[in-house]
Amino acid sequence: MEVQLIKIEKRNDVSRSIYFLTPVLAIFLTLFGGGIIFYILGFNPIEALKFFFITPISDLYGLSELLVKATPLCLIAIGLSFCFKSNNWNIGAEGQLIFGGIVGGGVALLFYNHDGFYVLPVIILSGAIGGMLFAMIPAILKTYFNTNEILVSLMLVYVAKLLLDYLVVGPWSNPEGFNFPETRQFSESARMPILFEGLRIHAGIFITLITVFLSWLILYKTYLGFQIKVSGLSLKTAKYAGYKGKTMIIIVFMISGACAGLAGVGEITGPIGQLHRNISPDYGFTAIIVAFLGRLNPVGIIFASLIVALTYLGAETAQIFLQVPKYTGQVFQGMILFFLLGSDYLLFFKIKFLGLKKNEL
Amino acid sequence: MNTKLKVSEISKIYPGCIANDRVSLEFGSGKIYALLGENGAGKSTLVKILSGVVKPDAGEVFLNNESIKLNSPLDAKKNNIGMVFQHFNLFETLSVFENLSIDSDKKDKELKVLVNDILKKYNFKIDLDIPVLNLSAGQKQKVEIIRCLIRNPKVLIMDEPTSVLTEQETDDLFISLKQFSKDGILIIYITHKLKEVLSLCDEVAVMRKGKVVSVSNTIDEKIESLANKMVGENLNTIKKKINNFKNNEEILKISNLNFKSDDPYETNLNNLNLSLKKGECLGIAGISGNGQNELFQILSGEIITEGTSIMFRNKEIGKLNPRERREYLMAFSPEDRISQAAVPELKIYENVALNNFKSSNFFEKGLVNEKKIKEHSKKILSNFSVNTDNVELKSQFLSGGNLQKLIIGRELITSPELLVCFNPTWGLDVGAINYIHETLIQINEQGKSSILISTDNDELLKLSDRICVIYKGKLSKIMNADTVTAEKLGILMGGGSID
Repeated sequence: MEVQLIKIEKRNDVSRSIYFLTPVLAIFLTLFGGGIIFYILGFNPIEALKFFFITPISDLYGLSELLVKATPLCLIAIGLSFCFKSNNWNIGAEGQLIFGGIVGGGVALLFYNHDGFYVLPVIILSGAIGGMLFAMIPAILKTYFNTNEILVSLMLVYVAKLLLDYLVVGPWSNPEGFNFPETRQFSESARMPILFEGLRIHAGIFITLITVFLSWLILYKTYLGFQIKVSGLSLKTAKYAGYKGKTMIIIVFMISGACAGLAGVGEITGPIGQLHRNISPDYGFTAIIVAFLGRLNPVGIIFASLIVALTYLGAETAQIFLQVPKYTGQVFQGMILFFLLGSDYLLFFKIKFLGLKKNEL
Repeated sequence: MNTKLKVSEISKIYPGCIANDRVSLEFGSGKIYALLGENGAGKSTLVKILSGVVKPDAGEVFLNNESIKLNSPLDAKKNNIGMVFQHFNLFETLSVFENLSIDSDKKDKELKVLVNDILKKYNFKIDLDIPVLNLSAGQKQKVEIIRCLIRNPKVLIMDEPTSVLTEQETDDLFISLKQFSKDGILIIYITHKLKEVLSLCDEVAVMRKGKVVSVSNTIDEKIESLANKMVGENLNTIKKKINNFKNNEEILKISNLNFKSDDPYETNLNNLNLSLKKGECLGIAGISGNGQNELFQILSGEIITEGTSIMFRNKEIGKLNPRERREYLMAFSPEDRISQAAVPELKIYENVALNNFKSSNFFEKGLVNEKKIKEHSKKILSNFSVNTDNVELKSQFLSGGNLQKLIIGRELITSPELLVCFNPTWGLDVGAINYIHETLIQINEQGKSSILISTDNDELLKLSDRICVIYKGKLSKIMNADTVTAEKLGILMGGGSID
């Protein structure tokens, strides 16, 4: 039997423009792959893709919805970029989002019959702190007990989910709510201001934009950002330069957790207005895709969050018009990641064919 | 069963270095052969060629007078050449027997009988059913050896097998190896430990800079003669003029320093004592792997020790990290210039910013002062004749010599009182080596001190004022460089004692 010998080699220099263009390529490949799937399901692929990606944002309401979904995705992804850039694999943003929501929601319930300008800032702040504290668990366990942060942060997602479940069914459930698993509606002062009458887009978008700007500042213009960059490229060098590795791990997790917590509190004080079981359609997990699609770059992440948010909307429209389950949205998200990782592999490595060889196994 | 293995005119060239230069050697069964040489002498390349991992550019391998092609590790196995590498290739969570059966095409029942025979024959005591992670390093090595024995090897190659073993385990290994040899297996033993060569092997081939420099019977050799052959005969050629110390000001003092590592591949340091005067260069010689790496990290602060164990200009610095030590005017040039001293993906000016001082003002109030860093980098590039003036260039595009100039320049431009460097010239061309050597002599002339940890004895004798030898994590007494002879260094590097 003859076999083709293959050798995989690292490419030394990858052009910067191609590095930022491959995500775009991945998106086109996803559209193509999605078209094939729709075709197999018996739809006209062009029509179906139009329902999926054009129809949802062809009116003002749709655009507002796009921003409503992109707001938390972008915020979480920005936070995650701090972790990922420094080689810390925080997979539990979903848990940090929920825990931030729980803490912020708890404070909101405390103030349910209060009015005043101070209520919302206090809630937002407590949500951020909640997410931050929750993210510090895997960070501290990693630095002092050498645990694996991927595992710990991921498992803590389920802890947060079950805690939320318990609270909305038990102690925090609405006393006038006929035992529905949800809390009271928050008071008006505890809600994010709506930007336009009749649309759901809320002031949370400003929190996201400010965070993006601050992140850019920290990552590219400060000593902390420089240390994060060096640690991500070579831990050996970071040690040699004398950077405090442990402190940095904790700081990046704190930033990342605070961002996820902010996203959680933005959701419950924004579009939702109370706590119930499903305060997040897996924003925390999807944001991982957003972070990588945006190349861990603040501007890139803004664009990536809009595109991934569109898959959420597209799935809803497709469910209505094409009667396909809304989980097709997740199929598209998965395809984006798949094609991105695939094209990255070909970007960073080249495959060499060494010719045929007799296999004498 | 007589086995003859012959390598003939083997050459292997890597970019920038000749790893094997027309190497010819003959081996016959019934004897144990040592292949001796420093790191980078070419012995690993030769072994990789014999085990099919690397293909030679020229030359042939003959087994029992027949030319054999070794294009893959599989070919080596088919020709009954077995190999035990220094780092074990075992699945830690699988049992011993599972590890053996993965690699074998025999049925489990047959294999079990075979393995039990081997265990009995060589008196190995290993429980086949426990997971490998519960074994000691010596036992893991035995599993690797059994894996080779299953295939009835004609040739068994052992690569630095004792680096992770205790003394008792080493003795056991030697007994087994002698028994294998009696049973007709040809054994090639790769090492840089001279004592082991003398106590175990019958013949010894010494390699240096890719060439075989000597083949002899071990009976005719002594530790010193082997050490000389290994590091080069021209030991006392060029020397720097010895400093006449105007002042005897002590700048660095290490007293009773111990370091115990959790990692079996690292060397423990025992009871280190040394002192360094202003304007002096202290050379630390030794065969690599005797604790140089750990010593460098202790000096740089990558390994933190008790505060009082290291005094620098009368301050306790043992507890300080590298950045804090730099504030006290220490500078460091590590051995691994490519991925530790600099980051290849970073631009030159970003790599310069790694050596950050309070007074350098690279980062003011936590913000990056790019202009300042770039100015500073330009100064380094021109003062240390690095072959570019583009500070935006990624450092991966610098040649080894230019990268090392950049690193030394970055460390020296702040006028530190002490520079610690570890093999600063490995892999560089002659021009760059001379430049680095001149720079190191220059800083001593300016009254600054240096510690030179190096495996290159020519370099040490050229640059040092005083020299000591590190062996198995212990320092020899410190000698004035003009009293050091090739013989003395040879004895000390091989673990002997003088006077």
